[in-house]
Amino acid sequence: MQVHDFRAGVRAWIDARGHELVAPLGDDSVDAQLDHQRRIQRMLFDDGWMRWGWPKRLGGFGGSATLRAVLGEELTSRALVHTTSWSMHEVLGPAVAEFGRPEVVEEIFPRLLRGDEFWCQGFSEPDAGSDLGSLRTTARAYSDGWLINGEKLWTSFAQHATRCVVLARTGEPGSRGVSAFLVDMDAPGVSASPLRTMAGVDEFCSTSFIDVQVPAHRLLGDANGGWRVAQYILSCERGPIFWQRGAWLGHHLGMLLGAAHNAASQTALGEAYEMLWAFRARSKATQDRIALGDLPGPEASVDKILIAAADQAVFDAARELLAGAIEADDTPRGRAWRREWAYSRAATIYGGTSEIQKDVVATRLLGLPRSA
Amino acid sequence: MVDVIGASESDLMAQTLRRLAGEFDGVHLSKALADFGFVEVLDEAPREAVSALFDALGQAGSMSTALQDVLLQPLTGLLEGATSAYSVVLPRIGAPLAGSLDGDVVTLRGLLIGHRPATAFVVPVAARGETAWVSVADPSVLSTRVVAGLDPALAITEVGSAGLAATVVSFGEQASELWNAVATAGRRALGYQIVGAVGAMIDLAVAHACDRVQFGRPIGSFQGVRNRLAEAYVAWTAAAAALELAWEADDECLAGMLAKSLAGRAARIAATHCQQVLAGIGFTAEHPFHRYLARALVLDSVLGSTPELRRAIGQLLVSTGTIPRLVEL
Repeated sequence: MQVHDFRAGVRAWIDARGHELVAPLGDDSVDAQLDHQRRIQRMLFDDGWMRWGWPKRLGGFGGSATLRAVLGEELTSRALVHTTSWSMHEVLGPAVAEFGRPEVVEEIFPRLLRGDEFWCQGFSEPDAGSDLGSLRTTARAYSDGWLINGEKLWTSFAQHATRCVVLARTGEPGSRGVSAFLVDMDAPGVSASPLRTMAGVDEFCSTSFIDVQVPAHRLLGDANGGWRVAQYILSCERGPIFWQRGAWLGHHLGMLLGAAHNAASQTALGEAYEMLWAFRARSKATQDRIALGDLPGPEASVDKILIAAADQAVFDAARELLAGAIEADDTPRGRAWRREWAYSRAATIYGGTSEIQKDVVATRLLGLPRSA
Repeated sequence: MVDVIGASESDLMAQTLRRLAGEFDGVHLSKALADFGFVEVLDEAPREAVSALFDALGQAGSMSTALQDVLLQPLTGLLEGATSAYSVVLPRIGAPLAGSLDGDVVTLRGLLIGHRPATAFVVPVAARGETAWVSVADPSVLSTRVVAGLDPALAITEVGSAGLAATVVSFGEQASELWNAVATAGRRALGYQIVGAVGAMIDLAVAHACDRVQFGRPIGSFQGVRNRLAEAYVAWTAAAAALELAWEADDECLAGMLAKSLAGRAARIAATHCQQVLAGIGFTAEHPFHRYLARALVLDSVLGSTPELRRAIGQLLVSTGTIPRLVEL
């Protein structure tokens, strides 16, 4: 499947379905968002578009990851799905496919693609954010599997998820003593409590694991090899997910065109577009490398810094151009802008803070001596 | 040169251009480039020639008449005789065009950069809401001032005249399109030159941050210093990526504006952060840093500074009513 033909096919598919794909107005809850996504995902799976770019053994049709980036771009640039929830199978899918036991992955992966399952990511903890290697959740050998105890934080969509990729300590302190597991969210001992964000959304959770039994075949990769899995997941985030986030930003910038009436607002619009282009120009090269089978390295920290800057520039421009909308508009339109603007505040925090990314740039790309 | 340039020839050409830009400056560099056949190379492989030469000019802090070759290329069909007999007069800093035409009388207020001595001038001017190109066969009738300014080594020249009988060589739609093409070619070239100078500023500051010891450790190990240099590096790579795509985007004019604007943004960020990291030594006349700072900031102001371009980009987006993707995967 050529990228060009795929894009044309996806566009024709979207055009043919028209209003069927548009999220119903009025209910801006995460439940409604995920219900809508499941419906679209099922349609895309049944008609095949959801399967391109994933390996055949996992229910896919094969082809490069670029096809997935294009699908995400065409959907998010029309706001048919929300980027945050649409990105979860992209965050976790490739790593589970790579490190999971074949018999496990082959069974559950088609369900993920079809929207029957939703996965979440159990990395951060109350005392392990940027310093992820210091995490304290433990997994002890137990019977013929593992027993997990601990608390995870900022687990996006955990209350709606079927499975969770959990990092837990199985060995020595630091990143070398960490393993990754694929845990069922309905296993006894798992509970997720939503934490309302400043955007007013119940998106992420505090998730606790109390004596949760995990079978041996749910280990991802090797015991004490979890850091490799985590790195793989973090580098996957820099691929199609960023590209579709960029498309989402472009869609929102487009909604501001009618509001740029004077020189100051045109300059703000121009600057936001420039920052978006800085990200897209850089990310284009990254996507092209991924299509050739490369896994992004430290260079992708630059992409992360740039998309976070673009994200905040776009919604800062929205606050300026839509005077009062974010502060005082209580219509569904105002609420939607407020939610997106508030979410953009976290762009420099989630997925590795901009400070951590700059540290990677300073050490790995500029060759500066490591900080004390 | 052969008709089609292959990858290895392209590499060799880029290497040669980089070497010349490093070894020579001014008239000597212009002569070396003429001997090498830069104009022919520019015709055959503009992207490779411009990116290699202008990035190297920025890194070396050198200058030549090659910018005029780049500006004149889109005007080849318009001008009588060899384009090398002309220089393009650019708008002054902050101005949209280099003068105005009223009837057949032209008033010039322009800027020459990298020009050859003793050539005729071609000048883009405003003509009652339209664009025109006029030629001035005998530049001796114009008043000129070599600008010392922030970057004396750049030797830009202000040219001007009160009412002058003009020869109009292009008018209206065609003239406007030609101006877009010339400005785009110039923005790309200056963009590479700025990015080259930004790279040199970062190299100087990184070397200093590794060598300079305070409080018993290299200052490059302090987060305040590391963050500044990382920000400069990120801005530099973003501008470089935008320049790469300025040759293949759907709308070359818009992509050229974006690339130049991002180059200017990188110049501003690197000038501030690298100067701060270099501290006292970077403030001396003896240290090379200030020459890169001056070159990058002066070139930022030519053919649209970052704030000017942002506004123009915003206006363009509003007038077309779309947010162009410019490239697809």
